Amino acid sequence: MPASTDAIDQRELLALEQHLKQYGQQAEIFASQLELLENGRMEALAAVEALQGLLESDDGTVLLQIGGGASVRVKILETDKILLNIGSDVIVERTNKDAVEFLKDRITEMEASEKKVAETLEKLRAQMNEIAKRIEQGYQQAVAAEQAGRMPPVRAGREQDE
Amino acid sequence: MNNISPKVQNQIAMLQQVQQQLQTILTQKAQYEMAAREAKRAQEEIADLPDDAAMYMSVGSVMMQKKKDVVNTKLAEKVETLELRIKSLEKQEKMLQGKFEQLQGQIKAALEGKPGAPSAA
Repeated sequence: MPASTDAIDQRELLALEQHLKQYGQQAEIFASQLELLENGRMEALAAVEALQGLLESDDGTVLLQIGGGASVRVKILETDKILLNIGSDVIVERTNKDAVEFLKDRITEMEASEKKVAETLEKLRAQMNEIAKRIEQGYQQAVAAEQAGRMPPVRAGREQDE
Repeated sequence: MNNISPKVQNQIAMLQQVQQQLQTILTQKAQYEMAAREAKRAQEEIADLPDDAAMYMSVGSVMMQKKKDVVNTKLAEKVETLELRIKSLEKQEKMLQGKFEQLQGQIKAALEGKPGAPSAA
């Protein structure tokens, strides 16, 4: 990007607007990725809590929500045998402890990914701010040029036409 | 835009189309790469399990119990298919990238040879 003190021509202004739009689209993608990761992390944390709670329960009786605010009382037959989705639609049986370990590893990975995405998003937003500033500067220069009488103001011209 | 020749206007429209196609391909490629990584990871996970470990795979809307070697084969097939698709997308990406650069060069040359034209855009 050119130095901010340079004069901006209209061609550059258009290019900057295009860049800003593209960066905005990229930022939206990263923001939704961040949201997905955060949702996944929260879900995994809730699962860890539930698994640990199962081991502490007396007879494995829990409330199973069936939607619409309705629940049924169910008894978990084997609180130490957990069926765990390990990805690619494959489910394996694990002990409660192993399942918790697996989920905790996933949480750590998701946290690392979240950190990376957040950093990228932050950089992208900083670049967007820079571009927006440059565009604003360009517009101000154009307005100043108009007011200096180098060219008739666009609005005044339109009003005269009307 | 009025001062830009129809030829250049057409090239700009083509450039935008190529850009959109590239974006679609990149998104698809990222999805396939993620699916391939997930399948490889599942392979690694089951490698440590005993041969008689209980395993289920989704078949339609139900999960069916399968033997470890069956799951392994299915995962290997999945990885292979995904990698083939990724390679095919990479070829398309390369081709479109070339087209994009060529069009970009042509438009740039046309606009530079005709000062003031883009300012009317």
